[in-house]
Amino acid sequence: MEEYAFFPGCIAKNVYPGIEKATRIVFEKLGIGLRDYEYSCCPPPGVLACYDKPSWLVMGARNLSQSEKDGLNPMTVCSGCYGTLHNVWYALKNDPDLMGFVNDHLGRIDAEYKGKVHPIHFVDILKNYKEKIAELKEIDLGLNVAVHYGCHYLKPSSVTGENSERPTLLDELVGLAGCKAVPFKDGLTCCGAGGGVMSGEPDVSLKIINTKLNNMKDANVDAIVNICSFCHMQFDQSQKKLKTTEIPVLHLNQLFGLAFGIRPKHLALHTHLVSTRDLEKKLKDLKKGGE
Amino acid sequence: MGKSVKEILIDGNGYACIQCGRCTGSCPSGRECSLRTRKLIHMARMGMDVIKTEELWDCTTCFTCQERCPKEVKTTDMIIELRNLAVEEGYFPTMSDVPKIIIKSLYDTGAGQPLSPEVSKIRAIIGLKKEAYDVSTNAETLKKFQRLLDGLEITKKGGLR
Repeated sequence: MEEYAFFPGCIAKNVYPGIEKATRIVFEKLGIGLRDYEYSCCPPPGVLACYDKPSWLVMGARNLSQSEKDGLNPMTVCSGCYGTLHNVWYALKNDPDLMGFVNDHLGRIDAEYKGKVHPIHFVDILKNYKEKIAELKEIDLGLNVAVHYGCHYLKPSSVTGENSERPTLLDELVGLAGCKAVPFKDGLTCCGAGGGVMSGEPDVSLKIINTKLNNMKDANVDAIVNICSFCHMQFDQSQKKLKTTEIPVLHLNQLFGLAFGIRPKHLALHTHLVSTRDLEKKLKDLKKGGE
Repeated sequence: MGKSVKEILIDGNGYACIQCGRCTGSCPSGRECSLRTRKLIHMARMGMDVIKTEELWDCTTCFTCQERCPKEVKTTDMIIELRNLAVEEGYFPTMSDVPKIIIKSLYDTGAGQPLSPEVSKIRAIIGLKKEAYDVSTNAETLKKFQRLLDGLEITKKGGLR
């Protein structure tokens, strides 16, 4: 069985546990194993990397080292966690001196990172399971959605290898659940949460997300579908503060959970701040129509 | 131990900047506030007090400017390095205590965003363990993690020691 080390990240564990739950359900159905490890926070590419980059590297490397003895690559469900772990891996892989510095610190707690396992974003696993996802689908959700990648999954492309200006992966993946990715103005801009701006400059952060949400609203979308727990939190929490839009927010694994026929409550949709009730009603009608 | 402004400019290819402003034009934050990425690079090159500017902290590190720079200047990487230098020189952002709170939470629990009793309840209701398995599950592991942090600069900069 294909297996990964599951790196849930702070937000999916401690703020939106529906993302952790949905991920476990979806991966179990796909027959992909997930193993837990004694992970800490990634730590955040904004706050930690900007305050003390060497500390960020050491803490990131400690996380990467956890599953090395088992040879399992860590899988993230957050583009922020992915940004940290992937950038740390990339920096260490290309710099033996830096690897030495990091391991001098890890040696103090009898740990070591050799660079043999590397982080992977969950969508890069799912893209190899398109047929299986189509087989498992019980409901064509029929939603018009705004997709959101999270900057650090795509950029910098010199490190990620992605097409940062015209990505298409999420259009394809939401299509497997019977949804349509609707184009909207400035579709790829940042959610405004990263770089410590959400915590340090909350007014600026809210202005950035407000512009983005209104662009999504103008496109008449039924939901926002993301692949980043941190952006997910920004989309859900900021709508409660701004009160100008009310677009339900779904992590891609929650969307697949719904398409696989999992009850919304089991995906913790009722705990989101923006109500998902209209969405759930639509799905109920769809189910009835199909019977 | 950190880099000087000059070293940051050299490593980030900052001297190749032609001041075209594509970075500023691409910036999602600059549309909403006074952050002007082009100006930050200019200030750094002119030897001005770039690390004291508050706008340095308005960047969300989305990397759009770096991605689009026609001269391959590593603008975002440079902003991150300039912030490191600013913190080292004592220009910790004054707007909010939240970053320090995050660093303390990270030390105490291993999570930047700690678990609340309410979410713990939700976890149990949806069939997850009340607390996720992580660095804080085993007291010995958490102690080791804290020992690791004790030897890192972040705990000093975060005001923990």
